[in-house]
Amino acid sequence: MKKALIVLFALALVFGGLVSCKKKAAEAPEVTVEKLKVGMVTDAGTIDDKSFNQGTWEGILRASAEGTVSEKYLKPTGTTEADYVKEIGNLYDAGYKFIVTPGFKFETAIFAAQTKYPDARFVLIDGIPHPGDWNAVVGDNTVSIFFAEHESGFLAGVATALQLGEGEAGFIGGMEIPPVQKFNWGFQQGLAYANDNLDTNVLIKAENIIYQGTFSEVAAGQQLGAGMFDKGVDVIFCAAGGVGLGAINEAKARAKKNEDVWIVGVDVDQYAHGIYEGDKSIILTSAMKYIDVAAYDMIQAEIEGNFPGGQILTMDSTNAGVGIPPGNPNLDSSVENKVADVFNLVKSGSIVVSAEQGNLVK
Amino acid sequence: MKLKLPHMHRTMTVHLIAVFLGLAAGAVFMISTGNNPFAGYAYLFKGALMNYERIGNTLATATPLIFTGLSVAFAFNTGLFNIGASGQLLAGGLCATAVGLTVVLPKPLLLLLMLLAAIVGGGLWGFIPGFLKALFNVHEVVATIMMNWIAYWVVNYTVPAYFKGEFLETESRKIPDIASLRVPWLTELLDGSYLNLGFFIAIFVSLVIWVILKKTVLGYELKAAGFNRHAAEYAGMKVNRNIVLSMTIAGALAGIGGLSLYAGYAVNIQIGILPNQGFDGIAVSLLGANSPIGVLFTALFFGILHSGKGFMNAMTEIPPEIGETIIAILIYFAATKILIERFLDKMNTRFVNRISVQTGEVIEKGGN
Repeated sequence: MKKALIVLFALALVFGGLVSCKKKAAEAPEVTVEKLKVGMVTDAGTIDDKSFNQGTWEGILRASAEGTVSEKYLKPTGTTEADYVKEIGNLYDAGYKFIVTPGFKFETAIFAAQTKYPDARFVLIDGIPHPGDWNAVVGDNTVSIFFAEHESGFLAGVATALQLGEGEAGFIGGMEIPPVQKFNWGFQQGLAYANDNLDTNVLIKAENIIYQGTFSEVAAGQQLGAGMFDKGVDVIFCAAGGVGLGAINEAKARAKKNEDVWIVGVDVDQYAHGIYEGDKSIILTSAMKYIDVAAYDMIQAEIEGNFPGGQILTMDSTNAGVGIPPGNPNLDSSVENKVADVFNLVKSGSIVVSAEQGNLVK
Repeated sequence: MKLKLPHMHRTMTVHLIAVFLGLAAGAVFMISTGNNPFAGYAYLFKGALMNYERIGNTLATATPLIFTGLSVAFAFNTGLFNIGASGQLLAGGLCATAVGLTVVLPKPLLLLLMLLAAIVGGGLWGFIPGFLKALFNVHEVVATIMMNWIAYWVVNYTVPAYFKGEFLETESRKIPDIASLRVPWLTELLDGSYLNLGFFIAIFVSLVIWVILKKTVLGYELKAAGFNRHAAEYAGMKVNRNIVLSMTIAGALAGIGGLSLYAGYAVNIQIGILPNQGFDGIAVSLLGANSPIGVLFTALFFGILHSGKGFMNAMTEIPPEIGETIIAILIYFAATKILIERFLDKMNTRFVNRISVQTGEVIEKGGN
């Protein structure tokens, strides 16, 4: 009994001491500048997911580094509309009234939130608010941002074909949903364009276009990757989140054994993720969506007082919203130059990349 | 009654100590990240309870946990470890959603039919592991884990194939208002919260389960099988039948949780997710001492934690990951309550020893 009392007393001391320290720190004079309070709710997955959440957050952090923004992200307990709306409410009640949400899963939640919190601003990336039946309504306080994934996939396809010259490609997708499909279709068009116009011969077989069905199963991605490489595929374009990481791991293991295999990354520049030895990476290039730029631009627009509320924006080649990374150590400079030419053709409209399946595979 | 009271008192003490230690450990985490734990917890509870809407949302968050907690607790009482509440919840939710999206009936009848469908779906997902256990002695832990993934992939296939929302990629069509456990008067009463009829079903079911376990022959037999399977068999009880029955009821309970989650808290069922509520149910059951009433209150406590966490994160500099960690620590302390029990036992024995020594002296004196 005595011992327990001593322990309790000690604990009380420690707590009390720490709390009083804390108070002293808080008393220090605080410089208050009127900062825009920017909140973000993460999609399923973590803030460092090398994809959506991370891209959005990096855009917010960039604005924060300029000192104009104080930022906060919340991680919902589940992935239902109720979970999302609750976290949006938490941000709102805490004064974060500029709220960025990444991913189509927020569509119905933002639809509910934009009327519930009319004095808040919402940026919905890769989605459009609707009540669940596609009667989309972009409120005056909301901006929807889409990306031209097909253009990004197209450019990655051209780069891949040019660098390899000859060979076989594969595609691993996550869920079979529009952004992923558009990456795939664009990639196929890019290969075909290079084969027709740039004297390459990189083919993709229907059996090597696979949607795994999740964005999370790393092991399944590794198996799919191994299967494709075993069948003679030289390069796999992965638009599959965690599943893609599995394929990257497989490629890294093979590259260490001097096999000549490549991965084309997605969403962000995944070069660093594919490093297997020194600074050698199995990432040939990446089909990027500049999510961070989109988030940053919207924050800047709000600060400057011209938030494009009610609009649906598309990030594509014309506003540098998509493309391959600025630096690609695995691409020859001649290839990079050629891709830059093609980029300009897409930008000017000379080349039109279709966002539809048409007669493409899957 | 006199014998029972101290026991209940003790269980309560143990659990309150577990909660307190969990909160204290969480406080240490908050301090180590440079935050004031008192402010942190104040915001946690404010976030869960500061207005009607938030109270409603807390109860709504707790509702599926009550069901999964009951599910795990019920199986525990028969000596079975049900890790399959997630899968059972999915199966029940899928069946209820299927009915809700296809059948046209007046609301009360439709909800009743959905409830039945959830019971059948979840029950089936519990029945199979129970059956395998009874007949072939396949360990239920393994069987229920496998059933989780079967449910996961069944949902993954069935929802896009038959119930896909036209422009919703990872969800089923939205459940129509007529098939939702949400009712306007309740939503309005609590300022637009997600509280729904599921919560009242949960309270009712908790009481029913309490009655079954405490007051019926069936409950007695189920518990007997849990205490000592062979003794129960020797006493002429049909242990195998009871194992199957217990798992089926456990599955059905989690199945109703699926109804409350997907047709109450949420408005559609999602693919690609093995719901956390199933695993939280294990913690709820442990911390609730495997008793229906304990589960009810523990689930409400978990509801407060889950619901208030976001506001705590928003108002302080405590990162969301720490919020999750604090909940995990609480669960950890709930699981290690056996240590607390031992510690209490030890203290108790010492205390009793001392008293008996003292009274012994008195007796001696008296004797003289």
